[in-house]
Amino acid sequence: MTVLEVQNLRKSFGTVQAVKDISFAVEAGEIFTIIGPNGAGKTTTLEMIEGLVQPDGGHISYGGLSWDKDAEAIKKMIGVQPQSEAMFDLLTPQENLELFASFYEKPMSVIEILDMVNLTEHRNKKVKVLSGGQRQRLAIGLAMVGDPKILFLDEPTTGLDPQARRNIWDIVLALKEMGKTTILTTHYMDEAEKLSDRVCIVDAGQVVTLDSPAALIDRLTKEREVRMTFIDGEAAATQVEQFAGAQSAIVRTERTGKDLKLWTNQPEDALHVLFGFTKDQGYRVDQVSIREMSLEDVFISFTGKEWRD
Amino acid sequence: MSVMNQFKKMFMTQLRMTLREKQAWFWGIFFPVILMVIFMVIFSGGSDDDFKVKVAAVAEQSNESSNMMLQQLKQIPVFEWVEEEPVTRDYAETLVKDKDVSAAIVLPSADGDTSLSLILNKEDEQNSTSMAVISILNEYIQKANLMAAGVEPVFVLNVESVSAGSDDLKYQDFLLTGMIALSIAQGGLFGMVDMVEMRRKGLLKRLRMTPAKMGLFGFSDMLMRLVFAMFQIILLSLIGVYVFGATLHIDLVSLLIIFLFGSLAFNAIGYFFSSFSKTTEAYMGIANIASFLMMFLSGVFFPIETMPGWLQPVSKVLPLTYFVSGLRDGMVYATGWLDGTFWLGIGVLVLWGAITFLLGSLLYRNRSIAAR
Repeated sequence: MTVLEVQNLRKSFGTVQAVKDISFAVEAGEIFTIIGPNGAGKTTTLEMIEGLVQPDGGHISYGGLSWDKDAEAIKKMIGVQPQSEAMFDLLTPQENLELFASFYEKPMSVIEILDMVNLTEHRNKKVKVLSGGQRQRLAIGLAMVGDPKILFLDEPTTGLDPQARRNIWDIVLALKEMGKTTILTTHYMDEAEKLSDRVCIVDAGQVVTLDSPAALIDRLTKEREVRMTFIDGEAAATQVEQFAGAQSAIVRTERTGKDLKLWTNQPEDALHVLFGFTKDQGYRVDQVSIREMSLEDVFISFTGKEWRD
Repeated sequence: MSVMNQFKKMFMTQLRMTLREKQAWFWGIFFPVILMVIFMVIFSGGSDDDFKVKVAAVAEQSNESSNMMLQQLKQIPVFEWVEEEPVTRDYAETLVKDKDVSAAIVLPSADGDTSLSLILNKEDEQNSTSMAVISILNEYIQKANLMAAGVEPVFVLNVESVSAGSDDLKYQDFLLTGMIALSIAQGGLFGMVDMVEMRRKGLLKRLRMTPAKMGLFGFSDMLMRLVFAMFQIILLSLIGVYVFGATLHIDLVSLLIIFLFGSLAFNAIGYFFSSFSKTTEAYMGIANIASFLMMFLSGVFFPIETMPGWLQPVSKVLPLTYFVSGLRDGMVYATGWLDGTFWLGIGVLVLWGAITFLLGSLLYRNRSIAAR
């Protein structure tokens, strides 16, 4: 079931065209991730969907409801965690949650939310003394408090340390367990890969591609990168490079000192002949690895741009 | 039911934010109290029987005339004698130079001599204390002369002061009401700083993404400000009355009317400032300029009539002028709310409030669409 449908969204700020043409549909219960580099138009897209920014063109439909006519009804079914840390600094997490709970007819229990976002221990501290990760968790709690069907999490892990990021991932996955639909933006590729059911890659205000992380990676060329280093040093590496260059399974090679990189469409065959050669010659291999493909490669292959965090 | 709960939570939020904000305590409570205490101490100076002048008597040689005169002079309550016994002229001059005494009175040096001399510090020759000493001594000499001549005085002078209000209007009353008006005005001018902060942090935007009733949020904010202002009035009045002996004649109806309109007008002005201030620093700067301008031009500390003529038209357009005078009507003069000038003042406040509120809302609306 489609809970949110976005068609041909456009938005310009002055001469800057932040969003050129974005369309997608979100299914109930999924984690739908919008990724893209800074300035790709993620936040603007989200703010239009959240009803904060009026689009220049296009349609947004929440299962038939639109912002023009049903703003109040939509506000009741969505929960938003904005990028900025918008909360009352002088209030405690519990007081913040209780205030936001009062806006809704059937809010979730504040105690339950505190427990879920792991803030029970800090519920009576003022928000201004909380750490970045704790504030971010409270922001997610505030988005959840109205028991919404759809949650918007805008870069919830930006600027957090790895442990804090993992905590947020756990919360996002718990929300999925509860049957919520989550729309997430991030500029961390690993995060998108780990959490999402489907990924929408956005660049320069347009959708580049949209599919599940596995399917996107699968669509990439089958060429894989193999790295090898040798205990016997540069001499061995040079010999192996010459041998590899003559093999049909290996597309091309590249060597710096004792580090050898080669590209192949049949990694199993290539490794088989290479290890046969090294054994015959008595070269000792120090390390060998096949680089895994990630969404980063998907991004590079679709946009032709290098990915920057 | 749920609206009531929402309102309760919103009001508690506003209250907590104010009570937990050190700035609110400082500017709302401590600053006006300190300012009032300073001005009261400097300008009201205490009543007549507190006025004392330190003097010393000089008698080179003790004699009949000097003893008699000293005795009579010691009856004058204003003089405070630094030394019980007369001192030498040299010592007296040192005392005057060091400002240990305001004046030294030189008694006749020989029997039958009838002249008094006065040693004053050159720096203080023209100040009011010296003038007072001279006139007191002149009066004393005159009386002594009349007595010596055996004549009863024919003319006497009685001094009376009048004021527009009740008989016992004092400067304390004037200043107290001025300070109350000033602190409520400042509460409005400075108080909207949290709006700037809330917008900067995206909190206003955040609230608009929920089903929260924003009108209710604004109303709870307003109500909290009125409660806070009420607290200011009561606190300042208590200090004014019990510490500085101010006397209030309260007309509750006019006080309530002017309080309500005044608070709303100054909050609207603060709201207007907040609508175009991007940072709290910018807002505080604007609020400070407005506050200082009004503080000295609106008759808070001194009646407007004592200001230079060319400045007076400026006072006539400032809202604080009308708030101060309205508050004095309600708290000191007890002229009641049927007075015409009272309503003229309310009219000016309403005008200020309405215009700034409309401009502020307009700017807020334009921004919320254009802003990222």
